[in-house]
Amino acid sequence: MPGKTATPPRITKFTNCRIIRGNQLVEQDVWIDSLSGKILRDQEAFYELHMSPDEVLDLGGRILAPGLIDVQLNGAQGFDFSVPKSSKEEYDEGLRMVNKGLAKTGVTSYLPTVVSSTPEVYWKVLPSLGPSGAKHRAEDGAESLGAHVEGPFISPGRNGIHKTDVLRAAKSFEDVVGCYGKENMFGPSKTVRMITAAPEVGSMVNNIPNLTAQDIIYSIGHSDATYEQAMSATKQGATMITHLFNAMRPFYHRNPGVFGLLGQNEHRRPFYGVIADGIHLHPTSIRIAYNAHPNGLILVTDAMKLCGLPDGVYDWTNGERIVKTGARLTLEGSDKIAGSSATLIECVNNFRRWSGASTAEALNAATATPARLLGLEGVKGTLDCDADADLVVLTDAPDPYSGPTLTIDQVWKRGVKIYDAEKEATNSRV
Amino acid sequence: MRVIIRETALEASEYIADYIISRIKAFKPTEDQPFVLGLPTGSSPEVIYKTLVQRHRAGEISFRNVVTFNMDEYVGLPRDHPQSYHSFMYKHFFSHIDISPQNINILDGNASDLAAECASFEAKIARCGGIELFLGGVGPDGHIAFNEPGSSLSSRTRVKTLAYDTILANSRFFGGDVDKVPRMSLTVGIQTIMEAREVVIVATGAHKALAVEKGLEGGVNHMWTLSALQLHQHPLIVCDRDATLELKVKTVRYFEAIEQSGTDARTQGPPLVYRPRTYVPAPMGASKTNQQPTPASTPPRVPKDLRINTQLNQTLDDEELTPDSMSSRMVDSAISGLDSTLKGDLMFDRMGTRVISH
Ligand SMILES: [Zn+2]
Repeated sequence: MPGKTATPPRITKFTNCRIIRGNQLVEQDVWIDSLSGKILRDQEAFYELHMSPDEVLDLGGRILAPGLIDVQLNGAQGFDFSVPKSSKEEYDEGLRMVNKGLAKTGVTSYLPTVVSSTPEVYWKVLPSLGPSGAKHRAEDGAESLGAHVEGPFISPGRNGIHKTDVLRAAKSFEDVVGCYGKENMFGPSKTVRMITAAPEVGSMVNNIPNLTAQDIIYSIGHSDATYEQAMSATKQGATMITHLFNAMRPFYHRNPGVFGLLGQNEHRRPFYGVIADGIHLHPTSIRIAYNAHPNGLILVTDAMKLCGLPDGVYDWTNGERIVKTGARLTLEGSDKIAGSSATLIECVNNFRRWSGASTAEALNAATATPARLLGLEGVKGTLDCDADADLVVLTDAPDPYSGPTLTIDQVWKRGVKIYDAEKEATNSRV
Repeated sequence: MRVIIRETALEASEYIADYIISRIKAFKPTEDQPFVLGLPTGSSPEVIYKTLVQRHRAGEISFRNVVTFNMDEYVGLPRDHPQSYHSFMYKHFFSHIDISPQNINILDGNASDLAAECASFEAKIARCGGIELFLGGVGPDGHIAFNEPGSSLSSRTRVKTLAYDTILANSRFFGGDVDKVPRMSLTVGIQTIMEAREVVIVATGAHKALAVEKGLEGGVNHMWTLSALQLHQHPLIVCDRDATLELKVKTVRYFEAIEQSGTDARTQGPPLVYRPRTYVPAPMGASKTNQQPTPASTPPRVPKDLRINTQLNQTLDDEELTPDSMSSRMVDSAISGLDSTLKGDLMFDRMGTRVISH
């Protein structure tokens, strides 16, 4: 029988570890169950079911955190979510590779993000990008929580590197549905979890209630919206801002634009994505946003498929080419930033250094806060009882060049260890 | 009676931890012949558990073949409530050691038939051949387990109504709300403790001094239930210096001299006396219900009779004297062991705590 060798231990207890409680790290044991894939109500299991751990892991004071969540990720491992393959099988194969690779960086769940494309592309790729749900196995690696479609209903002047000739303006909700495909937006086949669109383009602002009625998150982004337009989007149900500061009307003291949403009290302040890769934003800009609305900051990578590949010139969507120089990605023939190649844990480290946030607060920005945006409180981004047992073991050690640095030692998905840096190192030596 | 005196509460606790470890090791417990240990909750025991956990982590002791019985539990408090004794034991001891959950016995304060639960607890102790070592703390009013002043010295496991002072003192664990503190508890009786082959009591802090004095120098008396141990064959009381403040200098010197000239029980094995492993189980008539606990398995929970039975209620609540403010005999009336020395709280003026008892 396949897979009968080496059954993983059922109950694992992590001890001598620090976990996040609120904005602090506290010492506490965590019990997980690989059978249910959940964090165990340990005292209840002990007394009621007479369960005791099959394996006890002494983490030697290291940090045990929830698996990281990236709500904006365009691809990895040379695979781009926005580029269909000749067959669905081939595409899914690439996706599996991304999921496995991504898990090693500590990201255990994410929203695969598709940039502005033609309707045909959405119809082809979205059916593969829906939430993995219960059929997801630990060894599959990172898990999709649904797709994030960034565009094409965005401002042509704030397109970033999205190709202008695929951009659209929706006159009605039918235009939106027609673009992504009905089955991707309604019912059990729904794959879209979040839409980034400019509220001022077409009649998008009037479509927001239709989207939120389908439990699809509306995020303001790639937008030239004024403060007033951004406010009316928030009033209609926008709960997120896509990569704050980037690809939007800049802050102006007589009209603070989209950024102004962080300073108002009239409506609920939206969550906002921040690319803390050291290229997209000045550290002080991040600090200003964080001070204005600390509970809404969500770290995102906006990483694309070149993440982890050597420097050079690479083909990109719609026939254009991208130049990769270290972590910097630019569109060929211009100096437009074309996304990032930083990992999420690197963003956490940068953010912690720049913002003065505590370790727990910095980790929350990549775990608990995105879980809150996605309505997955108590399921993802937490180590509370009954949550999914998606975990990372982190070492917090000073780096001679960049100061205190968190590194991923182990990654656990649904109660099973799927990555161990120590083992990886010994394997490569053999 | 053996009395061991150490300078600090920590040293006293470490002495007991070492003592328990040496007892378990000397016993050489096996799966068929486990070491049966009685355990308390409270702030003084907490330090002992901490030490035992450290020793376990260092690989010095395994609890694999140890069976435990806990002294008491609140009635009606959810099992996983942070203030339940289940939670206390889990948090401070059980979750950190290699004990098997099957080997743990704690009274179920939510049992539908509390009297049957108590009888079944006694039966389980009997089935294990009795308790080898019962560790206990002592309250400022001399109570052991929830056997508060006036408890019958021949009592067994039963339901006890808590003294008002105890409820008041414990309200600090329930957000200061007296109404949230459980009114009743299940507790082993004095006789249950007396039947253990060895009893070890920890008493630390000046607020325990009067209890130690009454228990050691006074006569056997139900108002200071600790004093019942004078009738036990192998009791051991471990105090810190502060807990001896009410004892006569002569008494303290006497016990210190005995320790110096005697053998160290922690390293040189149990006292040189023959202790037969016989055990006379508790009489089974404790419960008036006709259901008898079956020795081979835990008794099934039988729903309580729906008809109101005042007779039954009378047997449930013990008829012993539960004085409302017995602890007001002492200046420090915080019952149930807030260990001021351990917590670094205010220290009393030594002579100021001297109270003339009536
Ligand atoms: Zn973008």
